[in-house]
Amino acid sequence: MRPDKIRLGILGCGTITRLEHLPAALAHPDVDLIALVDSNTDRAHALAQSRSVQCRVSADYRPLISQLDAVVNALPNSLHAPVTLDVLRAGVHVLCEKPLAIKASDAEACAAMAEEQGLVLAVGMNRRFAASHKLMRLVLDEGALGSLKSYRCDYGGAFDWKSASGFYFSKALAGGGSMIDLGVHLLDSLIDWFGPVSKFSYQDDNWGSGIEANAILELQHSGHYGLVEGRIQVSRTFPLQNRLLVRGREAEAEVNADDHDALIVRRVIGGEQVSQTLRLPNFPKTSSFYKQLDNFVQSIRGTQKPEVNGKQAALVLQLIEDAYANARRIPEPWSEIPAGIATQPGKVMA
Amino acid sequence: MSWLDGTVLVTGATGFIGGRICERLVQAGARRVRALVHSMHRAARIARLPIELCSGNLLETDSLRQALADSTVVIHCGLGSARGIVRGTENLLSVCREGKVKRFVHMSTAAVYGLTPPPGSEVEDAPLRLTGDGYCDNKWRAERAVLRAGQRGLPVVILRPSIVYGPYSAWSTRLIADLREHRVALIDGGKGACNTTYVDNLVDAVFASITNDRAVGNTFFITDGEAITWKDFIRVHMAMLGLKEELPQVSKQEAAAYYRNRPGVVAGSVKAAGRILRSRELRQLLLQIPAAERTLSALWGRMQSLPEEKQQSIRSRVGVLPKSQVALKNGFVIPDEITLATQTGTVFFSIEKARKILDYRPRILFTQGAALVEQWLRFANYL
Repeated sequence: MRPDKIRLGILGCGTITRLEHLPAALAHPDVDLIALVDSNTDRAHALAQSRSVQCRVSADYRPLISQLDAVVNALPNSLHAPVTLDVLRAGVHVLCEKPLAIKASDAEACAAMAEEQGLVLAVGMNRRFAASHKLMRLVLDEGALGSLKSYRCDYGGAFDWKSASGFYFSKALAGGGSMIDLGVHLLDSLIDWFGPVSKFSYQDDNWGSGIEANAILELQHSGHYGLVEGRIQVSRTFPLQNRLLVRGREAEAEVNADDHDALIVRRVIGGEQVSQTLRLPNFPKTSSFYKQLDNFVQSIRGTQKPEVNGKQAALVLQLIEDAYANARRIPEPWSEIPAGIATQPGKVMA
Repeated sequence: MSWLDGTVLVTGATGFIGGRICERLVQAGARRVRALVHSMHRAARIARLPIELCSGNLLETDSLRQALADSTVVIHCGLGSARGIVRGTENLLSVCREGKVKRFVHMSTAAVYGLTPPPGSEVEDAPLRLTGDGYCDNKWRAERAVLRAGQRGLPVVILRPSIVYGPYSAWSTRLIADLREHRVALIDGGKGACNTTYVDNLVDAVFASITNDRAVGNTFFITDGEAITWKDFIRVHMAMLGLKEELPQVSKQEAAAYYRNRPGVVAGSVKAAGRILRSRELRQLLLQIPAAERTLSALWGRMQSLPEEKQQSIRSRVGVLPKSQVALKNGFVIPDEITLATQTGTVFFSIEKARKILDYRPRILFTQGAALVEQWLRFANYL
């Protein structure tokens, strides 16, 4: 065991920790898992047992904080920012699950605290660690698509994330619906490729104080490839195409949800459409969450920088906050009831 | 004070009917709607609404007591597992008797007469008998529990809709998928009675059951009151897809013979067994074959010995509605046994009683309903 192993605590033992963060931490040679923390300690114990992990289990991270170098914050969304701030204040590095905060200003506060303390704050945008993210960047930089026209990004299906605590459908705990949950990933990648958003229009199907299942965001980026227009659609109720398609004058590139480690490029040659699937042959086969944790570890060691830091996360969250504030309702004509029984005020009941 | 000013509790709120009831309650201006949610991950549709999601389970009385609290109207669409249909309903009724409930609307089903209702079951007072199908029989037992509670003073109304369709309905989304895959056959020419019930017509009936005091203690069939056949229902979906070709035809006898000769095809998995176990007709067919009898008995016994949770998960995978129809390699299509049973009925249920007592008038005709479904299917990327 390396004497300078990073002593890690994982906060939140819900589904993403069980599926991704814990396996990544156990597989990483430079990480020493010290503690699993969850307000439901039965859940934390069960998780430790299921992987035969010898570590502390606690309902509260605070008594343990002095024994830790770093934490993974995988608590419900509403606890991301307050706990991240608290942990940073105590001098401990943080890898925080997305979204870093529900409000952009809280994300900025986290970024400022990390800077002030000279600590690493990395934000869990695991899609950045899929080969397709890098391949898209290479293809765009090479100009392989010609001048860019637009993109379409459609991700959706019947929601099936079996959240242990069920916080996903609470506005107070989750901060929003499909946009803040899934849209945050898509926007992070798209802003990284195409630059800051100069114009947008947003609509969703939140009927009032609920959270959206469906959202449509139309955007204009102005970055190093000039003006690029795009459209994002996300859904928790309907199956969508589940792909990102970037169209250029000479070719188009597609990332398909079935294989985030490949990029499909299509062009017309001699009147025939041809397609090519690009891969990175030397790309490690580890999970994107392992790569994300490794980037966090290397950032703590000072050999890398976090792929996504607090400031970048705050930028995306500001856009989502603005979108929510300026939301229009997606028309649902099939839901409109012609005058009659439904719209009459209820009669007095005996 | 209007009933819309009190608290309304909806069970089964993550389902297709319960979800639409929640939306309609919001549109009608209900002040406080509480949805009992068992599987939180299925709540995406109703989480859009300004309503309370209340985590609970029909089999846990304490959670029901919490969800009910001060509710004055209860709309019970929840199912739970096979046993949960009855026990869950009984639990809810017992909690309601303790509360301030002024109306309990029970979402039953015309399938209390079986998946193929016998001639004579057109009217609500036709005698009921066990069909051997778990779903149908348990829904009947649940009705009896509701009526008993009614006799003890709870103001209950029982609604028996039939084929409830509309936006979000699996009848349409599955049919579209099956039509695309060429897995749909017309059974006996598609002349079976479909008994369509557009979901908003059903919600009108629910609201009328709440506002109309003459409804109390009564049971009503609720359909669109149109003689729509399965051929009609399938045809409108073909038109949405722009399909013009003739569908393959199959007779009930041919399909039954197919299953008689190949029990392994359907008895081969727990998933299929779950469906078989709810189909009396097929079960009897299979029980004539010794090997199948052993397989079935073993599976039945195993299923019954499983914990409630496990049964529920099997049930949720198997579903209440027919799964995809079976397609054979040579292009000959054999419908699954539930589709077979559902699409070969001859009974059109009468809505006269609902017209008279509830003043129920189906507002959305089949052509209008189908057009609304099409709009939604296009938006939701199914077309």
